[in-house]
This record gives sequence, structure tokens and C-alpha cells, in this order.
Amino acid sequence: MGLFDKLVTLFGLRKQEVKVLVVGLNNSGKTTVLNHFKSEDDKSTEIVPTVGFNIEKFKNQNVGFTALDMSGQGRYRDLWEFYYKDCQGIIFVVDSSDRLRLAVVRHELDLLLQHPDVSSRALPILFLANKMDQRDALSSVKIASGLGLDRILDKPWHICASNAITGEGLEEGVTWFTQQVRQVGQPGNRPNRTGPLASGKNN
Amino acid sequence: MTSLRNLEYEQLWLNAHTDTRAAVYTFSSCITLADLNADGDFKLIVADLGTGSTNVKLKVYKGTSLHSETALLDVPTGVVSFYMDFSEPRMPAIAVASGSNIYIYKNMRPYFKFSLPSMDVNPLEKDLWMQVREEQIEVGVLMELLNNLRLEIGFAQLSTQSQHLLAQDPTTVPSFVQQYCKVPIKRQTVVTCVTTLKKALADEKAVSCLVVGTESGEILVLDPEAFTILEKIKLCHQESSTLIVPAVLSAFGLHAVEFRIVAACRDGSLRLARRGWTESKLLVQLPAQPVAMTVSPENASITIALMNQTLQCFSKKGKLQWVVTLPAAACALCPIPLPHQSTTLVAVSLNGGLLQLYNGRQLVDVIKAPQSVSGLVFGKFGQEENALIMFTVDGSLLVKILKRTAHFNLQGGSTSANVVPGVAQQIKLQIPKKTRLFLDQTMRERDNCVMMHRTFQRDLFQLRVDVARACVQALQSCNNPISLEGAEPVKLSAQVLGLGPLFKMVITLQNISASTLIQDIGILFHFDDKMYSMEKPFIKVPILLPGVEYPYETMIRNISELALSDQIRVMVVREGQTQPVLAAIINMPVCDLLGMV
Repeated sequence: MGLFDKLVTLFGLRKQEVKVLVVGLNNSGKTTVLNHFKSEDDKSTEIVPTVGFNIEKFKNQNVGFTALDMSGQGRYRDLWEFYYKDCQGIIFVVDSSDRLRLAVVRHELDLLLQHPDVSSRALPILFLANKMDQRDALSSVKIASGLGLDRILDKPWHICASNAITGEGLEEGVTWFTQQVRQVGQPGNRPNRTGPLASGKNN
Repeated sequence: MTSLRNLEYEQLWLNAHTDTRAAVYTFSSCITLADLNADGDFKLIVADLGTGSTNVKLKVYKGTSLHSETALLDVPTGVVSFYMDFSEPRMPAIAVASGSNIYIYKNMRPYFKFSLPSMDVNPLEKDLWMQVREEQIEVGVLMELLNNLRLEIGFAQLSTQSQHLLAQDPTTVPSFVQQYCKVPIKRQTVVTCVTTLKKALADEKAVSCLVVGTESGEILVLDPEAFTILEKIKLCHQESSTLIVPAVLSAFGLHAVEFRIVAACRDGSLRLARRGWTESKLLVQLPAQPVAMTVSPENASITIALMNQTLQCFSKKGKLQWVVTLPAAACALCPIPLPHQSTTLVAVSLNGGLLQLYNGRQLVDVIKAPQSVSGLVFGKFGQEENALIMFTVDGSLLVKILKRTAHFNLQGGSTSANVVPGVAQQIKLQIPKKTRLFLDQTMRERDNCVMMHRTFQRDLFQLRVDVARACVQALQSCNNPISLEGAEPVKLSAQVLGLGPLFKMVITLQNISASTLIQDIGILFHFDDKMYSMEKPFIKVPILLPGVEYPYETMIRNISELALSDQIRVMVVREGQTQPVLAAIINMPVCDLLGMV
């Protein structure tokens, strides 16, 4: 890589392509979060439970995201781990009004963090404490302590409360996420950009 | 050891929620899970018995928080959720059985009240109450005559009014009579247990009928829309005077097609009722009174916890399958279906707070609760599919969620080793009758035993001789793939690859001696030259090192016009020696006709 390329990447002028994984329990709002980032024409009015996974593309601060919207239903959660390998970031959506399943979220998070494809890499993880508008929603601080996020020392992570329907809080989270991904994408620590990502065309 | 195992067990469940101050006092029969608002978020509906007279409430939990509560008039005996009709959205109704009524709630609002039909009052009793109303007899006389009547027909056959009167304190009797002699006397039974039965479809959200067990020893099947009595099944015979009261009911099948209702009764009998029956059939007389029961939907086997600290399983015909002695008295029981392991566990809560999970008779998991669990339910709760809800005797609510990765050890390691053979093994098996042919054969064998033995011995020797001869012949002609004799311990294996007409033969030679080298040998192929042509009919083999496998390849073409196959002899020969070291015959495969065209 030449000096020019380095400079271009440093200033963020080059269009970067990253693959992110969107995970979380069923009914936490993963598809709704991604729906918010879509252009007005593509937005779907009715969100149905995802089966398997969907692939969505969006752009933020000159970074093109290819998001894998994984299904959160119990029987499809086995699929998540197959996509840990070639993603450059994880968005973990939590339903902050579902106090009952906070233990389940923690268990799934532990499984994710212990997976060899994740534990060995400093993947940025963005936690979205979704459904903040609900009356009995937990605050993001409570969710962070409930999930034991302070245990994550080797990865950059960030939690923000969000409301995927109105889009509140999402911009903040994704801005942080983009910065992290960009840092990872800098020289010396560049993610692998071969394969479908390099050819993936983003408008 | 035990504590270690408990640690291992605990890892299968997540502690989702613990509320020690829930103050809900209930039993398994008064707990149900239902998608009340038809939004996929399952609510927990529980009838709180309170102190037994006050604070009787129907509570709805949405996740961890109390969603709503409704006061109940009387102590509930059962709560079930069921779909009444096909109206959209599919919201289930809640039926609360208490006293002699069943209250139906829809959308958590009172919708309908069904009262059990009143029963005939003894004419003499009716007459007595009428006379006391018209002041023809004294209160004391009434009491005395009622007591006589009680001895004659039994306490259960009296009206509620008379029953109350006889149970009164002598000082309050006159005022009681004053108060109640004006109202017409009624005899009404009460609901002891309630369950549901699918009406015409086995679908999860199909319309269900209510099945009600009554104190008068009857099972009623109610229509879900009109609340008319569709079936009335008597538990006891008409002539016998003792009442058999159902304590636990379990119904399965379809009302319109075929159904079975299993009732565990207070007298310790297990009874079965089926479609079209007006009287139940005794399946088995249990050794103790039942506590709780579940019927497996797969094979209709009945698992029942008894008051003698045992868990017993019966086949659908009432045959005892197995008995497990529990370490403490059972308090509650619930089935735990595990579709991913294609089995259904049975969770038994024990006095003292232990919960044991059984797969058949095998203990697979243990859960510890701080107190004895009186109410136990497993199913969908909130968004979670596998939630175990427990109410303890001190009123706390515990919710545990089965881990997605949980896998119960159903094969059983150490736990199954010490299972003693149950009573089931002592039951005589039904062996089919001996046939005529079998008897004839036995007779023949008995008569000709000496001759048969000789014939057998002769044939056995003949076989041994044949084997020995074949063995010697093979050794003499070196026609075996392993040569152990002499200086050349060589092993040969051959492989034919391809579909034809061109085949590839791979010969693998291995020196199986410990240290000696083998040299000056070659592989010779002997074949019909009208059938096959071979690339290398002779392969010179270099020195064979001990232990190393040497593969040699050659191409063989089938040149015959006909699609026939032949044998090829492979011989390992030594220079200057006429007899081969070893030999093998390879049956060539029939070559693919299409390939020849």
C-alpha cells in the first residue's frame, strides 16, 4: 500500500466496506433497527419475525455497512456463530423492557464472547438498549450491569438506549460504531477485505 | 459427590426472576400460561388463594411485573385457559372454577358464569325444613331428625344447608335456622378439578371443551360456546353408595373423534372414561392417594406422584410400569416437553424445596428452591418458550429458563447404574400358546435325540476336515495373500479401480517381517490374453523395507467383445524359484457396457 492510500484511509476519504452482524433475542427489534437506516423507499412498513437471516446495506460517514440481520428465535440462534468469523463488528440489540429474559441475553452474550472467532479478536460491539420508550424499560446503565459488560476488557464496546421505531439513539450508537470500525480498518490492523466485501457495490 | 452433581445440574437453567415478596399462595392447578392479548407475549395467570378466605385474587403477570388483578368471590380450585371460539384475534378465555361455579373471563373481564346443575333433595329433608319454617317442629327435633337422615343416606347426600346446620356450634343453631329456613333448600355440588379437552382439532389454538370433575362423583364435559353439558360420566356405579370424587383430571384426544379422560380419585383409584361411556372404568387401585398426575401425549402412559413418597408410571391400560421412591413427599408435578430431545421430562417438586426432573424412571436433573414448591408450571412465558415457573409455600415466585444449549443426559451415566429392577419385571409376560407344529417338533427331538446328536457330530467333523484340507491346499499352492513361511513374510493386497473397459489395478506389497529385507522379487499377472490386455504383465519389485507399504499400479483393458469378466491371478515370484511366494485371485468386475460403445 502506497503512502497516498494510507493518507486517504486515514482521512476517511476512501469508501470503506464493512460487514457487521446484528444479533439479539427474538422480538428485541433488530430488523426494526436496520429498517430505520434504509432509505425512505426501501423501508418496510410491517416487520415480521425474521427467519434465518436478512442482508441489509446502509451507509454512514462514508462507510458502507453490510449488515447481517440474524433471526433471534431460539432455534435459529445456532446460526449466529457461523458468521462471527468474517464480520468486523457486532451490533447486539437488547429489549430493555424484557426484564425476564435479561438472564437469557447474558447467557447468549457469554456464548458469543467465549466463541473462538470472537474472543481472539478486538471486535467492536455496540449494545442497543432498545425499546427505551416502554414504561417498564430498564436504563442502559442497568442493562450494562445486568449483562456484566464491565467484564469485557479486550474489546471496544458501547451501550446506548434507543428507540428503533422513532430512531432515537440509533445515530449516536452508529456514529460510535463507525469510528471504531474505521480505526480497526486503519493500516496495520486492516480487516480482511477480500471476498464478497471487496466486490460488494455500495451506492 | 452429591453437591458436585448438583452444581453440574444447575448449569442447565438460568435464574430469570426471583420475587420473594410476591405473596402468592397457590397450587399447580391454579396456574396457567396463556397468550392473553394474542400478541405472542405469554402471560402468567395465577389464582392466589390468599389466606384461604381473604385476598383471593386472580393475578396476571406480564413478564416479571404484576399486570392486573381481579378479586375472586370464593376459593378457586382450578384455573385453565382455553379458546372458546374462532373469533379473531385469537384471544383465549380463562376459566376459574370455584365453589359450584365456573367463571369465564375474556380479556380479563367477567364474561360468563356457569353453575353446576342442582341436584335432587331428599323429600324427607325438604319436608323437615318446610315444617320448621311453618313452625310445626322445634329446632331440636329438626337437628335430631336430620342426624337420623344423615346416618341413613350419608352426609354427602344432604343439602348444603343441612350440612352447614349439622356442622354448626350448638349455640348458633337457632339463629342459623331462623336465617335459612326462609330460603328454598338446594343441593349443589362443587367443582373439584378442571381441565380442557380439544373439541374437533388438535391444533394448539383450537377450540377446547372444559372438563369438570365434581364432588358428586361426576365428570362433565362442557361445550365451550353454549356451556351445555355434552357428556356426563359417572365415576361410581349407580348402586354403590360410596362416592368416588375425582382429585386430578387429565384429558386428551378430541371430543368429536375419540378422547380419554383419566381421573385420579380421592379414594386412591385411577379411573378411565372414554367417548360414549356413561360410567368410568377402574384402571388400577393405587397404593396411596394421588398428589399430582400427568399423562404423556405420545403413549398415554400415566405418571403419578403419590402420598407414599413414590412416583409411579402406569401404561394406558393401568399396568404398573415402574416405581421410583422419592427422597421426600411430593408436592407438585408438571411435564416438561423437550421437542429438541424428543422426550418429555416430568418435574416433581418435593417437600423441602428440591425439584427432581425425571426422564422415565431416570433422574436427569435436580433444581433447588429455597422452599417447598407448591405450584409448578412449565411452558411459554413472555417471549421465552422454555420457562419453569415455581410458586413456593411461602409465596415467592421463581422463574427459571432452560438454556438454549441445555442438553439433558438421557442415556444416564452413574444415575442409571443403581436403578433396581422394578415391580414391572416381576409381572408375568403373556406368552402365546404353543402351536401343534412346535409340539410335534419337540416330540421328534425327544425320540430321536441320539441319532440327531450323531448326525450333528458327523457333519461337524466333516466340516472341520474340509476346512483343514482347504487350508493345506492353499498353503501348498501359495494361494494366499499373506506369506508367513520362509524368508519372505510378505502381505499382498489388491484393488481394482475404474468402471471399465479400462481398469487400474493397484497392488500393495508390505514386508511384515520385523527386520529382514526382501529383494529379488517381482509381481506376475496371469490372465487370459483373449479377455484382457495389460500394460505391465510383470512388475519388478525393488527391495522391500520392513513395515512400509509399496503400491504398484498397472492398467488393464478388457478387450473382449462380450461383456464378460474373468479372473486374474496375481503372483509374487522370486528370481530362480519356480514356486510363487504368494498368490491371489482377483475377480475382475463386469465392465461397463456403455463405456465400450
